[in-house]
Amino acid sequence: MFRTFLSLRYLKARKTNWIGMAGILVAVGALVLILSIMAGFLEESRRTLRGNLADLVIQPSFQSSVLQENGKWVPMQTDVERMLEIIREDPGVAAATPQLQWYGIFAPDGGESALEKPMQDAIQLIELVGIDAEGEGEATDFRESLEAEFGKKPGLGKHCNVGRPADLDDPFVNLRDQRGRRSRPKVPILVGEQLAYLWGLRRGQEVSLVTATYDEASSKLNETAANARFQVVGSFRSKDNETDSRRIYMDRRALADFLQRDRLWSAVLVKLKDYERDKEEVRARLWSRLHAEGFLSAPGIRINELRTWEDFRATLLAAIQNEKALMGIMLSLVLVVAGFTVFALLSMMVTEKRRDIGILCALGATPRGVLALFLMIGLWEAVIGSAFGALIGVMGAYNIDAIERKLSSTFGFQIFNRDIYLFDYIPAEVSFSGVAWIVGGAVFSTLLFAAIPAWRASRLDPVEALRHE
Amino acid sequence: MSDPGPTLAPSGSQPDPLSEAVLSCSGVRRSFPVGDRRLEILHGINLELRAGERLALMGTSGAGKTTLLNILGLLDRPTEGSVTVAGEDAWSLSPRRRANLRNEQIGFVFQFYYLLPELSALENAVLPAMIKLSRRAYRSSRKEFLDRATTMLTRFGLADRLRHRPSQLSGGEQQRIAIARALLLDPPILIADEPTGNLDRGTGEKVLEILLDEQSERGVALMLVTHDERLAKRCERVLYMEDGLIQADSSAPIPT
Ligand SMILES: Nc1ncnc2c1ncn2[C@@H]1O[C@H](COP(=O)(O)OP(=O)(O)O)[C@@H](O)[C@H]1O
Ligand SMILES: [Mg+2]
Repeated sequence: MFRTFLSLRYLKARKTNWIGMAGILVAVGALVLILSIMAGFLEESRRTLRGNLADLVIQPSFQSSVLQENGKWVPMQTDVERMLEIIREDPGVAAATPQLQWYGIFAPDGGESALEKPMQDAIQLIELVGIDAEGEGEATDFRESLEAEFGKKPGLGKHCNVGRPADLDDPFVNLRDQRGRRSRPKVPILVGEQLAYLWGLRRGQEVSLVTATYDEASSKLNETAANARFQVVGSFRSKDNETDSRRIYMDRRALADFLQRDRLWSAVLVKLKDYERDKEEVRARLWSRLHAEGFLSAPGIRINELRTWEDFRATLLAAIQNEKALMGIMLSLVLVVAGFTVFALLSMMVTEKRRDIGILCALGATPRGVLALFLMIGLWEAVIGSAFGALIGVMGAYNIDAIERKLSSTFGFQIFNRDIYLFDYIPAEVSFSGVAWIVGGAVFSTLLFAAIPAWRASRLDPVEALRHE
Repeated sequence: MSDPGPTLAPSGSQPDPLSEAVLSCSGVRRSFPVGDRRLEILHGINLELRAGERLALMGTSGAGKTTLLNILGLLDRPTEGSVTVAGEDAWSLSPRRRANLRNEQIGFVFQFYYLLPELSALENAVLPAMIKLSRRAYRSSRKEFLDRATTMLTRFGLADRLRHRPSQLSGGEQQRIAIARALLLDPPILIADEPTGNLDRGTGEKVLEILLDEQSERGVALMLVTHDERLAKRCERVLYMEDGLIQADSSAPIPT
């Protein structure tokens, strides 16, 4: 009993102990605040990294046959409607849409010119993406990328003269000419904002695309057939600059016509109801289901057949995670400093309190009791200090944007320059498990440091201690 | 030496020669390392403290009295020999059991009071109970111990000093708190090392009266180091110590 009582009394009566507590408070508070802001920045980067990738991307390898569990080869299925049916049956799936992806060369002045002078700035490899506008809107951020406010991005948007398509719900429609008639049917396309800017494209402008297809029947490259005129009917801005500078959307069937292909799709994009929660589960379920129906190889054989968006960005995401861990480790040194303060203060206290320790022994305290007494002083400091530190850190993280604005306006200079980031606020993300780890770490580190003076106290010879005046 | 004669008429109860020893030691030697040699301070001491008796230990300064008391109080381990408290060989026990013996069997009163400066008078007095009991056990008997300490401190004339810190109290007052602390758990043994050595004569006498009154009332065995012959005369037995040995024992010639 005396341990609790005396440790609390010493804590209250000796103000120097409060220094240790304040040290822990500041360390924990700063750690929580900094790591929350770091996590916010990293989360924002993660969002940027994701760009316009769908939750899950299914890209069958389109081999001739698939080996089943029972050892039989079955022909690989390519009926996309059946595949969509299976996918949409899954309880974790919110939406799914097919895409047809191809590559081409962009040639605004006609295909021939592009091939005649293949200069680097005149030839650009373009992603041709054939979509179902409605389904694409449900399963991806396509719809938002059409609605993006143009002209907002400094120095860029105002040069893009294309703008939104006339009808966001049905974007692939030819524009009317001056006399109100629709122009000769040309394939309506949506171009990335950056692409439009780089080539100085205008709304309604006709452009050429050149591509090559492989004719399986004759085993020959077939390029001229796939050289056709298109009309720019709108532009889009996704969350990914790269995409905006090299992607062109058109109707899926129109692209298939252009390519003269029978198969109308090459991938299926899937949106999940709760990606973070269900991703692995749904992935596994879809994979075995689609494999059983002959759409995909067995799970894990061809890992590119079914990917989450994170799989596409695995290296960069790993780098972010690594950065986070590294940051945590470096900042944890603050805890060591706080623990060291407690160590110094408790050591002083043990020296100063030698006589009292002797008295406690004379009154029947065990060495272990003395050890526990000093450990408990460290424990209170750690618990109280880190509790308040965590509280202050969390409150600071939630209000960091307001705090920064206040500080900036008080001192008259900008601490956080909102122009240079992709986001115009200071992001902070409080992870409560992270806070728990920090508090746990602070308590653990303090106890570890407190253990040394506490152990010394327990080893004091009571007679020696009592002689101490 | 001085006269260990039969004039030692005890003021209180008669010593009962048949009563058992609550504290004893035999063949106790204690040496300290001094430089690269060992200096022996106690050269083989045999001693018995019987229940309820009042024993004075006298001797010149440096004779080894404090060293002996520390050993009898289980604070210090003899280099040789054994100490028996409540029938148990103290140094063959676990540190925990030995600490329990100190807590429950022995009350200490030191020359320099030795109160904890952060605690009030009352808190200092109940400290042995806090040490003895677990948190739960203390919570249920807290009131009882506080009452007991309050009663004692009131009897000692400290009724309006209960909440004072030691630094706000005089030496005599502090020593009375130390006595209350030593007696809180009603130990059978009370060890006092020059309890008035640091007090002026008048105060010292008052403190001694309290100590002796409580001793005879409770029947606790008292081992008292003193330089005061008059005080020694009020004890049933007087031991004279010199150069680490007990030279004379007043009880030897006492006929019954
Ligand atoms: N830890 C120690 N180391 C060395 N010498 C000691 C130690 N403790 C006591 N002594 C010596 O033992 C002798 C007896 O001391 P003490 O028991 O305090 O005497 P008393 O209490 O009778 O005055 C003294 O000479 C003292 O210097
Ligand atoms: Mg002495």
